[in-house]
Amino acid sequence: MKRRTVLAAALLARPALAAPPRRLAVIDWGLVELVLSLGITPVAAGELQSYRTWVNDPPMPAGVLDFGLRGDPNMELLWRAAPDLILTTPQFASFQPRFERLAPVASFATYVPGGNPLDLCFANAAALGRLLGREAEAAALRDRAAAELDAQARRLAPIGDRPLLMANFIDARHLRVHGGNSLFGTTIARLGLRNAWTEPTNFWGFGTVTLERLADPAARLVIAGPVSPAVMEGLVRNPVWQALPAVRVGRVAILPPCWAFGSLPTALRFARMLPDV
Amino acid sequence: MSEAVVAAPAPRPASWPGLLLAGLLAAGLALLLLRLHATLPPGRWWHAIASSGPLDMAETVARHVVLPRTTMALLCGAALALSGVLLQRVLRNPIASPLTLGISPAAQLALGAAMLWAPGLLADWREGVALAGAVAGLLLVTALSWRRGLAPGAVVLAGLVVGLTASSLASALVLMNGEYLLSLLIWGAGSLAQAGWEPVWRLAPRLLLLAALAVLLRRPLLLLGFDDTSARSLGVSLLMARGLALAVAVWLAAAVVAEVGVIGFVGLGAPALARLAGVRGIGRQMAWSMAFGAALLWVADGLVQLAPGLRSDLMPTGAATAVLGAPILLWLLPRLRDTLPEGRGMEAGRRLSRPWLVAGLLLALLPLLTWLALALGRAEQGWWIASGAEWEALLPWRAPRLAAAMAAGAMLAASGVLLQRVTGNPMAGPEVLGLGGGAGFGLAVLLLLVPAPSRGAQLLATAAGAALALAVLLIVARRGGLPPGRLLLAGVSLSAFFQAVVAAFQATGDPRAVPLLGWLSGSTGRLGPEDAMLAVATAAVLLPPLFLAGRWLAVLPLGDAVAAGLGLRPGRLRIALVVPAALLAGAAALTVGPMSFVGLAAPHLARLMGLRTPSTQLAGAIALGALLMGAADVLARGLAFPFQLPTGLVATLIGGPYLMLLLARRA
Repeated sequence: MKRRTVLAAALLARPALAAPPRRLAVIDWGLVELVLSLGITPVAAGELQSYRTWVNDPPMPAGVLDFGLRGDPNMELLWRAAPDLILTTPQFASFQPRFERLAPVASFATYVPGGNPLDLCFANAAALGRLLGREAEAAALRDRAAAELDAQARRLAPIGDRPLLMANFIDARHLRVHGGNSLFGTTIARLGLRNAWTEPTNFWGFGTVTLERLADPAARLVIAGPVSPAVMEGLVRNPVWQALPAVRVGRVAILPPCWAFGSLPTALRFARMLPDV
Repeated sequence: MSEAVVAAPAPRPASWPGLLLAGLLAAGLALLLLRLHATLPPGRWWHAIASSGPLDMAETVARHVVLPRTTMALLCGAALALSGVLLQRVLRNPIASPLTLGISPAAQLALGAAMLWAPGLLADWREGVALAGAVAGLLLVTALSWRRGLAPGAVVLAGLVVGLTASSLASALVLMNGEYLLSLLIWGAGSLAQAGWEPVWRLAPRLLLLAALAVLLRRPLLLLGFDDTSARSLGVSLLMARGLALAVAVWLAAAVVAEVGVIGFVGLGAPALARLAGVRGIGRQMAWSMAFGAALLWVADGLVQLAPGLRSDLMPTGAATAVLGAPILLWLLPRLRDTLPEGRGMEAGRRLSRPWLVAGLLLALLPLLTWLALALGRAEQGWWIASGAEWEALLPWRAPRLAAAMAAGAMLAASGVLLQRVTGNPMAGPEVLGLGGGAGFGLAVLLLLVPAPSRGAQLLATAAGAALALAVLLIVARRGGLPPGRLLLAGVSLSAFFQAVVAAFQATGDPRAVPLLGWLSGSTGRLGPEDAMLAVATAAVLLPPLFLAGRWLAVLPLGDAVAAGLGLRPGRLRIALVVPAALLAGAAALTVGPMSFVGLAAPHLARLMGLRTPSTQLAGAIALGALLMGAADVLARGLAFPFQLPTGLVATLIGGPYLMLLLARRA
């Protein structure tokens, strides 16, 4: 942790004269979202095809090099992309020494013990803006995000009496449910809504559970997409799904793709997609 | 040689199996009542079960989650146990099971591939897809061991090879499709979670039908207990009976995989438990094994539901059966009286007049091939050989992982030679005997205790873990002069146990477990010059002294009497050789992960090339191990470009089929 912080600090402390880095290799999808939102196209990012399925907003511009798996990047390709800065997260810490041989590295955590992912997304946007010489854009993004969240909070105020139970399907019988320390969880907290899932979750804020655990009598059920067609079809004949209190009274929303480990753009989209009835 | 299904000399009271079963069932029932009680007040149980009217949520959970899950556990346990009994009887092999014969992993691979490339098939043909995979797996295993007359040792070796290759392929699919195949991951670990009765209604009639078939096959199966000649003289159409029984066994295993995924251990453990409890006779063995299998899985699943993970993450039942079952089996093993016929694996091979020439040639080839491995790579335009400045520029990216991989390959190979010679077991290897799993356990404990441990500490931890695994193994197997079958059974159980413990640690969602992920798959991309240096230095320190032990290694496989006759102390020799074997396996596992075939394949290859004296076999195996792992590393960089595959996984994928080829060719 220490070393990364120092490194990022050293990068931030660069003399203002030096041109800010422009050839970015971005390991984490959440950081990809932020970088794109700041108006910069990275030279390399990972698993572009899956990005289209799971995130896709902001869309990935053409011409970005796919360096392969985020969890095991193709170092040769990264080297060929000749980045002048590599953006990563502590999750990929085991690769950090390798990245450092290639280019300066800046690591941004969205998940820290006891931390608030949404706040950290805001903080990361500001830090990235400074690092990339896009302070104005970063400030605008943060203001826009804050204003949007305020607006959504007003729009969603009428449903504030009911807690939200947020989950996404792994398969027909297993789900990930997002707790208070997840990005979704901190986002709805910012919107003034309550999270129905109060049981402990893991470091990234989710728990892996079976379907019947969603049987909260009062909650509004929010399923983050994508939901595979096979799962969708099966739900019709699934007695447990049909018996869920939220399903019985039709308090269910199935959202379009919304990646649980994204950043500000994901949080905003999630807030916009929450239904207010 | 006939399987010595000799009755245990120490007769047990006839009530023993009954008492054991009653105990298990009581535990299962208690766990079920506990679960039901947590769901619904007892007063409403009957309504939940019998009512045809609308149910509220709690009643729905009791009726459509708790009860079908219980039923499913019982059905799957019984099905797997029956499959295990049939396989063991037909193949006359006490360590045959759907898992050890590669049947379940092959079925799982087929389902994974279908999920990816033909998702439409899965809607209506899920079981058919699983069955196709299972049959293909068994056919492959049979073909590979056909020429050796389906000798138990050869069959299990082929089964392990096929099974590990299939699960590696399945992991590669998961890796390359990440989020989408997450479901495959959960279900590869075997989850009994249910939402409705549909799976029960699919599985129950099949189990009933197949069990009835098995009962009809009782008489021919009884005769299969004798050796082929006496059975034939009794006028039994052996092939027919064998084929039918195998078909039943495979269908049972595939049906279970299609519904709940891979659940290990039950197919092996339940029949073993029945035998250990003193059940004799094929009909009784089938019945008791099914009962034990059902009860075992019921109890395991009940415990899993009782402890829903530390951070409400889900613990797969398949992993739990291994955690619970493996120690039971290890404890019971010394009491297992059935002896596995001496499985002299792949003894054949030329004898060379100048073995050192071959070994020397192999070693001499290393630098040339190393250069090639550094130059060969893949970019957008395809494979190409780099030279000049580009070669130099690529060196920092390719050299460390290649060097570490080759050093690990060499160490695994040497460890394999030591283990095979010390145990006199041609199927021994650091992976199969659970040393890789032990190394993972050591690493997990270290990560739990020490934040950001140094490389040296990690090396010590993996070596200590491997040594622990080997120590447990030797203690368990000691009371029987290390018969190959018992040793392998212990090794496979141990391996499953350690893997399950590590999986459970990961399932807690503890961030300290994150580094284990890259390690488990055997990825080398993260390795830098320091890691490479450590691996090479460890190899350089540990390997040369082994050549001084040539005489010991030559004598030990001949048996303790011979060794003692030559004035050696076999017990001490074993320990002196086993310690470096564990250290080597642990150091290698730190680099390329717990699984690969190199430690098993390289010693075999060396022997097949005619290198049969200990020192030449060792030299040849070291060179071959380095080459295999080096080749795996090159392929890992380019095979799925731009994705990087883990080197350990690729080593399994090239080592597996190659070993299969050898198995098939050697009569």
